[in-house]
Amino acid sequence: MRTRLRRLLAILCLLAASVAPAGAADAPARPFRIYMALWRGWEEAAQGFKDYFTNQNIPVELIIRDAGQDKGKLPEFVAEAKRLNVDLVFTWGTTVTEEMLGRFDDPDTDAHITSIPAVFAIVSQPLGGVVPSLTSSGRNITGTTYLVPTETQVNLIQSYRPIKRLGVVYNPLERNSRVAIDELTAIGEKSGTNGKSGFQVTSIAVEVEDGKPKPASIPGKVAELKKAGVDFLYIPPDTFLNVNRDILTGAALEMLLPTFAAGENPVLTSKALFGGVYRYYTVGQLTAYKAEQILIHKINPKDIPIDAPKRLSIILNMPVARQLGLYPPMKLLGLAEIVDPAEGKRK
Amino acid sequence: MTLDSTRPLFIRLLLLAFMVLVPPVGLLAHGALEEFAQGLVPEMDKKGETVGRDLTASIERAIGHGIPLTGLYGMDDFFSPVLSANPEIRYLSVTDHEGRVLFLNGAAREMLEPFYTVTDFEVESRRSHKSIIGDFIDLTQPLRGKVGVVGHLHVGIDQNYVRGRLLEIAVDIAVVTLVSLLVAVEILLFVVTFNVTGPMRVVGMVIDKTRRGDFSSACGAGADDEVGRFVHRFNAAIRYADDLFRRLEAYMDEVKSAHFDKSVVEQVGNIESRVRFLFRFSRSGKPEVINEHQATDIRLPLFLFVFAEEISRSFMPLYVRDLYAPIPGLSTEMVIALPIAVFMMFIAAVSPSAALAASRKGSRQVFLMGLFPATIGFFMSAVAYNVYDFIVWRAVTAIGYALVTMACQSYIAQVSHQQKRAQSLGVYVGAVLTASICGTGIGGVLAERMGYRATFIIAALLAVVAGLLIYRLMGSAQPRTEFQTPRKRQLLALLRNWRFSALVLFAAIPSKIALTGFFFFLVPLTLLQDVSTDLGDVARIMMLYPIAVVLLSPLAARLADQTGWKAGLVAIGGLIGGAGLLLPLYSSDLDTLTLAIVMLGVSHGLSASPQLAMIPDLCWTECRNMGQTNVLAFLRLAERVGSVIGPLLAAAFIPLYGYGGAIIALGVVVMSMSAVFALLSFAYGSGPHIEAELSE
Repeated sequence: MRTRLRRLLAILCLLAASVAPAGAADAPARPFRIYMALWRGWEEAAQGFKDYFTNQNIPVELIIRDAGQDKGKLPEFVAEAKRLNVDLVFTWGTTVTEEMLGRFDDPDTDAHITSIPAVFAIVSQPLGGVVPSLTSSGRNITGTTYLVPTETQVNLIQSYRPIKRLGVVYNPLERNSRVAIDELTAIGEKSGTNGKSGFQVTSIAVEVEDGKPKPASIPGKVAELKKAGVDFLYIPPDTFLNVNRDILTGAALEMLLPTFAAGENPVLTSKALFGGVYRYYTVGQLTAYKAEQILIHKINPKDIPIDAPKRLSIILNMPVARQLGLYPPMKLLGLAEIVDPAEGKRK
Repeated sequence: MTLDSTRPLFIRLLLLAFMVLVPPVGLLAHGALEEFAQGLVPEMDKKGETVGRDLTASIERAIGHGIPLTGLYGMDDFFSPVLSANPEIRYLSVTDHEGRVLFLNGAAREMLEPFYTVTDFEVESRRSHKSIIGDFIDLTQPLRGKVGVVGHLHVGIDQNYVRGRLLEIAVDIAVVTLVSLLVAVEILLFVVTFNVTGPMRVVGMVIDKTRRGDFSSACGAGADDEVGRFVHRFNAAIRYADDLFRRLEAYMDEVKSAHFDKSVVEQVGNIESRVRFLFRFSRSGKPEVINEHQATDIRLPLFLFVFAEEISRSFMPLYVRDLYAPIPGLSTEMVIALPIAVFMMFIAAVSPSAALAASRKGSRQVFLMGLFPATIGFFMSAVAYNVYDFIVWRAVTAIGYALVTMACQSYIAQVSHQQKRAQSLGVYVGAVLTASICGTGIGGVLAERMGYRATFIIAALLAVVAGLLIYRLMGSAQPRTEFQTPRKRQLLALLRNWRFSALVLFAAIPSKIALTGFFFFLVPLTLLQDVSTDLGDVARIMMLYPIAVVLLSPLAARLADQTGWKAGLVAIGGLIGGAGLLLPLYSSDLDTLTLAIVMLGVSHGLSASPQLAMIPDLCWTECRNMGQTNVLAFLRLAERVGSVIGPLLAAAFIPLYGYGGAIIALGVVVMSMSAVFALLSFAYGSGPHIEAELSE
């Protein structure tokens, strides 16, 4: 009852977009005020973040702002957070985080939030971006990673079927994809020298028009990869590809090319074959845990390492597997969460 | 040279204990095993069914997702962990509805397919179907898809597994029975010699004296039993005779001093001197009490003590591996070998002074003195933190071990008459070997059930029991003999006798290297490398060594005695041991290693007693000058060099050649040294000329 009341209160405050009256009568302590800066609306990670506080019975007041994928709104958010003098800032995604908290080597105190502690989530490559090291940010922030280590991803693909050639279609404008391709190439070469069967990585960039990647060019690129003889298509953690996942995975399926996704959406809501991910919801909860460390246990954010959840989720898209005729190995089948609308439920 | 004066008695008691103990144990074991077998089979069926159900559920789930049975992928990875986790399951297979094998792990397709294709599983497709294919029980469960049964899953249970398990249990029972048998005999032997044969022998000695007219001694007081009462009455008879003599003496004195007739006085004087000539009575009027000490008195405490030490035989290096902590500058193997080497070193270092102490203070006191460090060592070994303190505790145990064993040896030497000394030392060897069989066998079983640490506690308890026996049963009055302490220079002069040094260097030392390096150190480590062997197996295999020694040494001793061919036996023994260690060259399986262990036992059984028996021949003058005991003690001391370097040498070989290679390398060392001795032994010649040669 108490928690529901508190949640109601939080929502009220949120609607008013103002400071909650200090007389939150049932809370002996003033709720912590957390400024949540989102990139593309309320989703699983934000929900996980919020639910953690509810479950732990920690009184919080969430001030929620959505940039709607518009970079221009972010300086306003910085100013607002500073003006409200919130207890903690939560940033969602690479862009929001880098714009609001600044890169580790560019600490512009005016443009960024520096004195207020902050936690970030869903940042693909925090290392070398917002933080210099995953063990410590060296400043007033900490956060979580959400990408499964590339080596683990490769092992997953190899456990499905041994591969000789891995194909990647990527957006040349996003750094994430490039980084992923470089890592894949290195792993492919390394496993070749380790006596295991190595693999090659073939990557093709989508066409760019007027400084924007062209979704229509995706199927052509997939066809090129198929012609080049790739056994598996890898979908990097890339916002453009994520948005256009139906085009990408649809094209791949049409050409009977199995796909592995580094994110959950291509598998859950599109036609990628399978993926190994940390669920956004879990990532959000872990981020909230780190916020708790800062707010309640008064641990300095720079002493909190940046890491990922312990539990890996393997998501398997069964209709796609059937269409491909490429059935998952029994072991993977036992471990995976299976998306199968034919079964009427997701297990 | 007969090994053991109590041997005939020992064997008779063994037969008795065997007849009493073995038939009932055998009967019970037989019944229990049958019961167990009957219980095990349904248990295994149940397990096979459970495993089958789990696998069936997974496969049906896959089929439910629209994967055709033939399209199942990664079945090897799916089946193999199940097979390795369940040793009784030999194979797993999936067949389609026509009985064709689609997936199979653990058995040959040709063996199963003919059977599957002709069997109609559909009849009984509700429940699992059980059929027997050769040595396997095939449990068949249907795999259901949306349209009905699409195929079957087969779980193959190995019937040999039941047999294997039963055999294992039977062997376990046999080991325990053998050990109980030996322990029972040791106790019986102790009771019989202490309570019956010992007192009887004293009575015999006193009777012997009385037969010669000597009434000056009586027997030591016996216990309150039939024998004791007999001894008591016998003593009463002697005292009565003594009393009669006193009365007679008094009467004669009275006659001599008071009789008026001189001729009568003279006659009485004659009679008196005649009586005094024919009979002897104690002067004080109290017959001297004879307490015969026998070598066997100490046998049971010694047995228990050595038992305690041998209990850790089969797992010592494994325990050290668990306690491992790096020591700078030493390889892992070296660190594991170190406690064994240190133990041997301390025994070697302490033994001479222990022998000295035993002769000065008496065996009983030194035995009790030695039990303190030994018990503490055993106990602290059980709670050791890591290899550092463990080495210390082993050293402490070694000090105790040296004191106790030296006390026993000196006791035996003191109580036995010179000519029977060799025989009496057989009591020592016999007790040590029997304890070795029992300790090794039981130690493995205990360690497997209770862990290493608890087993060390039991060792400590056994040592305490040995101490109590000594404390309660051995009279504090101990015979003491003057101990001839040889000077160091004299001992070193022994080495100038080339026959003696050759014996030490090329026979005694390599045999110890093989014992400590191979048997104590490498065997447990190598045996446990095979995942299918457990500690009990290791112990059972290791028991074969003392058993081989026990069986062969009396034979070798008799052979050496009758033929005088001692050097030859020592040489052949050495070569057999060396050859055994070289066996892993041909095969590295368990049976080969077992054979190597047996050959080592044969080797030591053949050579051990002739080695000692050679000494009087080889070192005739030295034995005369400094005493045979000291020469033997020096041989013991010198051969300990081999005991110390054995494990270290083996540990040095492991990083170079691996475990199997280290055995072979050790074998090369032992073999070549033994070969040198074999060649030299031809030059030994026979006994008598040595005397001439050395008396220049």
